[in-house]
Amino acid sequence: MDLYNVYQNNYLIVAVFLLLGILLPVGALTAGRLLRPNRPTKEKATTYESGIEPFQQSWIQFNVRYYLFALLFVIFDVETVFLYPWAVAYDELGLFALIEMAIFVLLLTLGLVYAWKKKVLKWN
Amino acid sequence: MTGEMIAFFILALVAICGGVFMIHSENVVHMVVSLIFTFLSIAGIYILLSAEFVAVVQVLIYSGAITIIMLFGIMLTKHDPKSEKRIAKSRILAVGTGVVAFFIIMFLAINKLSFKQQDVELYVHNVKKIGIELYSKYVIPFELTSILLLVALIGAVVLAKKDESEEMNEHE
Repeated sequence: MDLYNVYQNNYLIVAVFLLLGILLPVGALTAGRLLRPNRPTKEKATTYESGIEPFQQSWIQFNVRYYLFALLFVIFDVETVFLYPWAVAYDELGLFALIEMAIFVLLLTLGLVYAWKKKVLKWN
Repeated sequence: MTGEMIAFFILALVAICGGVFMIHSENVVHMVVSLIFTFLSIAGIYILLSAEFVAVVQVLIYSGAITIIMLFGIMLTKHDPKSEKRIAKSRILAVGTGVVAFFIIMFLAINKLSFKQQDVELYVHNVKKIGIELYSKYVIPFELTSILLLVALIGAVVLAKKDESEEMNEHE
């Protein structure tokens, strides 16, 4: 039970860091708002486009390609999550765990090869 | 009131507030930010339950990756902020009744639920314990997970590539 208190008290430091991380930008932006003059004009509110006259809103429909890259990232992110407990417990699991993980990684590599063959990774 | 209780109440409050703000906000980016707050406070609740690994995964996967996906989902669809409809009073009443009914059902269901004394040693070698359990007892579900991920990957590729070949045909 004593160790449990140590465990929880360690997270107090994390909480302090989190709180500082949230309060610092909030404080800085609030101070900035109080200090700066506020004179909005129509030109100031337009979308900035490197000095060119903006011709539409900044929120447009993206290319589907970006979505594919994001999805690939998420899938391999999940794969990495499974690698952590495997690596930590590897000493006690032995060869069987290695084969297991090899199958797991191989299946996902198949997906990557499929995506590669379909020219998803190419940007043209 | 112990410190654990106070931490739980703050985290639960942040999680619920994040969810409510997400529903009520009209700005897409505000929605995603409030959703991140919900995910982070749920990670905090996991830490309170001594599930460190699950908490880290929650931050890694949900707060990072899923939010990216969500942003893309929103950005890919057409978004018109002016097409907001007014909500009828009868609908508010119906939703309120539903919320109260849900509360009563949940309260009755979990009021008499009692857990046995929880394992206080959970925080010791948390990741190692998960690893041993996962890769010795739950091998088949683990391998099935990889198939699920593979299906998701191939499905996304098939859907997105179809769009592109149509685009190519249009260009030609």
